[in-house]
Amino acid sequence: MFGAEFPSPVLLASGTCGYGQEYADLIPLDEIGGLVTKAVSLEPRPGNPPHRVAETPGGMINAIGLENPGLHGFIAEKLPWLREHLRRAHVFVNVVGHSAEDFAAVVRGLDGEDGFLGYEINVSCPNVKGGTMFGTDERALADLVARLRACTERPLVIKLTPNVPDVGDFARICEEAGADGLSAINTFPGMVVDIGRREPLIGNKSGGVSGPAILPMGVYATWRARQTCGLPIMGIGGIRNADDALQYILAGACLVQIGTASFVDPGAAVDVHEGLSAYLEANGVARLADLVGALRARPGTGPAIPAG
Amino acid sequence: MLSAGGGVAVERAVPVSRRATLLSTRLVARDTWWQEFDCPDIAAAALPGQFVMLGVGLDAPGAWLLPRPFSVGWTGPGGEVGILLRAYGEGTRALARLETGQTALLLGPLGRPFDTEGAEVECVAGGVGLAPFIFLAAREAAAGRRVRLIYGERDAGAVFDPTLIARLTDHDPELFTEDGSGGRKGLVTAGLDPASGALLLGCGPTPLLRALEAFAREHGRRLQVSVEEHMGCGIGTCQGCVVRGADGRWVKSCIEGSVFPAEELDWGAI
Ligand SMILES: Cc1cc2nc3c(=O)[nH]c(=O)nc-3n(C[C@H](O)[C@H](O)[C@H](O)COP(=O)(O)OP(=O)(O)OC[C@H]3O[C@@H](n4cnc5c(N)ncnc54)[C@H](O)[C@@H]3O)c2cc1C
Ligand SMILES: Cc1cc2nc3c(=O)[nH]c(=O)nc-3n(C[C@H](O)[C@H](O)[C@H](O)COP(=O)(O)O)c2cc1C
Ligand code: FES
Repeated sequence: MFGAEFPSPVLLASGTCGYGQEYADLIPLDEIGGLVTKAVSLEPRPGNPPHRVAETPGGMINAIGLENPGLHGFIAEKLPWLREHLRRAHVFVNVVGHSAEDFAAVVRGLDGEDGFLGYEINVSCPNVKGGTMFGTDERALADLVARLRACTERPLVIKLTPNVPDVGDFARICEEAGADGLSAINTFPGMVVDIGRREPLIGNKSGGVSGPAILPMGVYATWRARQTCGLPIMGIGGIRNADDALQYILAGACLVQIGTASFVDPGAAVDVHEGLSAYLEANGVARLADLVGALRARPGTGPAIPAG
Repeated sequence: MLSAGGGVAVERAVPVSRRATLLSTRLVARDTWWQEFDCPDIAAAALPGQFVMLGVGLDAPGAWLLPRPFSVGWTGPGGEVGILLRAYGEGTRALARLETGQTALLLGPLGRPFDTEGAEVECVAGGVGLAPFIFLAAREAAAGRRVRLIYGERDAGAVFDPTLIARLTDHDPELFTEDGSGGRKGLVTAGLDPASGALLLGCGPTPLLRALEAFAREHGRRLQVSVEEHMGCGIGTCQGCVVRGADGRWVKSCIEGSVFPAEELDWGAI
């Protein structure tokens, strides 16, 4: 998949594992499938004022504001560590930009470097102004993907936002424009009110909601994407254990990413992998690939889009 | 080894994640518990001012809880890690309900510790801000040194059992309560001695830290404070825990702090 062998189908999700280094002390990184870096933008970004995170029912909200050292900072300060320390685990660089040219400049700037496998294009961040524009506008998305395709031959994965009427439409657009894969999904926009102060709790006012609360939405988005296109999908959103991961896999994901759950237990990605292996063995399934999209159709199932 | 950001550079251990059994838990003041976990790795490595992320893990039945940061309140000779936990919102209430024999996940030791450099030290604690100073005073006592321990609470009902403090630290704190129901009446800052040249360490609510900063600036005293900001990961990856540094940068309080020399912070933004 993506022209590479993955030691595990479980990766660490963007924004929840930094650039890998901190996790190296806590888990054997080369035993997981890999990691997706924090978003990298052309220029460094300072990020949002605090509070940037808080727990929410069944999850958390975050508005980091894509704080990152920028393309050159990433190449100078972060990439060398990844290059030197990861042998089997694969790195996707999460890329963000204000304009199509911003995205393209990051991809062009990185493409000649070693130390990573491909790109995860973040057209779906709700925490910066205009952050989801590309992810919610069909024309803009098609143009962006085509443009990035022309900049690189590496795996080009588009990270979809769930904040569209039908993720399936956007998945198909990505495939037609030349993407190699999809990540589904990013966070949902949300807000927490501090009733004592009568103010938004989060410095940015709103933020992105992640964690188990969004698991069914992520599974649904994965399933829709699988129905409309043939691209490999990385399933993301609310995964805590192998059972959650299996929901994504049966719905159509061939890899999964763990985000918020790593905060609760840094070993979550390792445990999910072990749980998946145990499931395969217990159920006499030879390869995980045999389960991908293997959802059985139930007779009399309703329409693809819930009527309400 | 991680190196501390900024001026102070105390050697710190690499953090570990451990499932630890709760050895004992007791109500020591209103809504406040003293919990001791069996966690030798963290007990052996922790330094005063460092903290742990304490949570229940992913497989606790029915529960979803992000870990919460707590100062290491003490470490015992048998590998115990003591936590002084005040029930505040939903998360701390859930952690307070842990029973002896149950397990929790501890990630630590985390953050930059106090750097006392063998100096004469005055610790100023508001509320559960006392926790890191129990640890510090106990360590100092074990090394044959004394610290001054000034401890304030709203009222006597909130005061952490003084006999337990004495047993853990071999120190008697100077107690202040806002309503005078215990110790001396007033704010802890009333206990500060303008004539002293000791290194000031502060931990507690933001208004206390601000008052300490103003005092330290006025009297030319060195001050280190432990700040509290919401945290996601506790290890420097999520960038959730930032405070404004004196140079205008957002600094990650979980890794560059939570203890900061006062001059590293932008007090206009704290
Ligand atoms: C370095 C550090 C050391 C600490 N040491 C101790 C200690 O020894 N004993 C103790 O009782 N408490 C300590 N605290 C505070 C404790 O972490 C908070 O009381 C706790 O996170 C509140 O969670 P909650 O769900 O009960 O509150 P809620 O207000 O319901 O929490 C909502 C969200 O806000 C966050 N939050 C709220 N208040 C705080 C706060 N003061 N600090 C950080 N996050 C907060 C929570 O993590 C959660 O995400 C410490 C905090 C920090 C940062
Ligand atoms: C603190 C935090 C920071 C994040 N930063 C990014 C980011 O920079 N780029 C991105 O594409 N997704 C980012 N995400 C979204 C996650 O990668 C993931 O899509 C989302 O959290 C859902 O997965 P989860 O429920 O397992 O956390 C972030 C999530 C969190 C919690
Ligand atoms: S809490 Fe995640 S970086 Fe500090």
